[in-house]
Amino acid sequence: MSEVITYFQNIKDTVSSIFEGMSITFSHFVRKPSTVQYPDRIAQQVQDTLPLRYRGILEVDMDICTGCLACERVCPINCIAIGIERNAETNQRDFTLFDIDICKCMYCGLCMEACPTGSIRHTQEFEGACNNPAGLVRHFVTENVPLYKPKKGGETETRMIQKVDIGKRYMDEIAEPES
Amino acid sequence: MSEAAGSTGLHTEDMTLNVGPQHPSTHGVLRFVVKTDGEVINEAIPDVGYLHRSIEKIGEKCTWHGYVPYTDRADYLAAMFANQGFCMAAERLGGVEVPPRGEYCRVIACELNRVASHLIAVGTFGQDIGAITPFLHALRERESINDLMEEICGARLTYNYLRIGGVGYDIKPETCARIAAFLDHFEPIVDEYNRLLSNNKIFIERLADVAVISKEDALQYNLVGPNLRASGVQWDIRRDIPYSVYPELDFEVPVGRGERGTQGDSYDRYYVRIRELLESCRILRQCLDKMPEGPAVAKVARKFKPPAGETYVRIEAPRGDMGYYVVSDGSEYPYRVRIRTGSFTAMSIIDKISPGIMVADLIALIASLDVDAPEIDR
Repeated sequence: MSEVITYFQNIKDTVSSIFEGMSITFSHFVRKPSTVQYPDRIAQQVQDTLPLRYRGILEVDMDICTGCLACERVCPINCIAIGIERNAETNQRDFTLFDIDICKCMYCGLCMEACPTGSIRHTQEFEGACNNPAGLVRHFVTENVPLYKPKKGGETETRMIQKVDIGKRYMDEIAEPES
Repeated sequence: MSEAAGSTGLHTEDMTLNVGPQHPSTHGVLRFVVKTDGEVINEAIPDVGYLHRSIEKIGEKCTWHGYVPYTDRADYLAAMFANQGFCMAAERLGGVEVPPRGEYCRVIACELNRVASHLIAVGTFGQDIGAITPFLHALRERESINDLMEEICGARLTYNYLRIGGVGYDIKPETCARIAAFLDHFEPIVDEYNRLLSNNKIFIERLADVAVISKEDALQYNLVGPNLRASGVQWDIRRDIPYSVYPELDFEVPVGRGERGTQGDSYDRYYVRIRELLESCRILRQCLDKMPEGPAVAKVARKFKPPAGETYVRIEAPRGDMGYYVVSDGSEYPYRVRIRTGSFTAMSIIDKISPGIMVADLIALIASLDVDAPEIDR
């Protein structure tokens, strides 16, 4: 007799626990949805909602890059390639190459921490799909540009002041670990 | 292969089955060679090595700082712990002192990561057994943690947050407030999981008394972490071999009590993780309260060269005791890095426990051990 009671007790427990679970599932009909229909029906571009520290695809501001090669040296997978040559005419050192292979990059953020001017930065961009892997090598030097030399007593040109400022702010906010 | 005449005089033989390498319940590339007699398993031999990426060898070719992002890949579900193990080993070799705020940042990040990892364990457990809804509920909460991690360190999965000597970025007060808000939201959700999954009669019947691992077996096969605690052994590196700031924190070590069946069954291994979720929340709250001011990272030379020597560091990762044996020869590169992970030993016990259980219960056993294929092979 007791076996029969246990049998029906089990059925009762099973059914009641199923409905217990169902009640949670049903309660989600009236809760705020936690999903969005990406990428068509979003209120804001995802890139704009990402936090400042987000480590997306790298970019380099060549105007404030001093060519110290710190990023190239610190990169664990050598995805940064920098070429510097002495220009015979101006007797200055010029960048001939600054390539970042996005295919190889593992977004570890060690390069931006090593950068003294904040010229190499992680952007909020993460969509990099393209048909050819060669398209994922970002060339930052199209024609030879001279290395940046910080002026004594600060920059005078407005454009440069802004750029140096952006780099500094980036370093303070993100790359500089000390609080 | 054993051959015998059955009771009816008909010729019978064991059937050899391959579970994996691609199987929905193996959580990665993992293969079992299973010999079955009908539905009953006679032997299940795990075959590991499909995900070997020679992370240990890479360690010898990278600088000390440059190896930290690679350790992320040792265990993708709990990257923060792999970071911490290596950083602690390097610090011990180089004699680097981590500032208190750095330690608290580490513990906050690690415990958040533990919650995320246990959510995956609990969610996929349900999914392997056949309950898909709880998996989605678990992943929803994990997404919130990923968002928090993104704010703390800028990445969602391979964090590379810890540095030798501290952490990469300080946790800002607004982020702390968001973590606290998340905890307020999350703790009631655990109760929801219990109603959804833990108290479900079908789930309990499916797991109670299935694949019981006794205390002795667990110790002999060197199980670690929640799997060991589920068998009734009170052992937690955080408490027993304290590191970081864990001695200052008050937390309990949940142990399997045989709630719905025998101590050390699959249900206990599941439920220990649920209770650890709440313990992690407790640790997080204490850390947020106690956060001291000051720098988050110590000054460490960019060309970090610890003096020659060797060390072994143990930390409590979500999958148990994670060990880093690091040898330095005084150069810019580690001489040897050896990683010991919890999943590897968890695999070895499957051989012992599986004879006599059903094929479907093998899936429950694998899921309950929470093995993580990348962590097994490294």
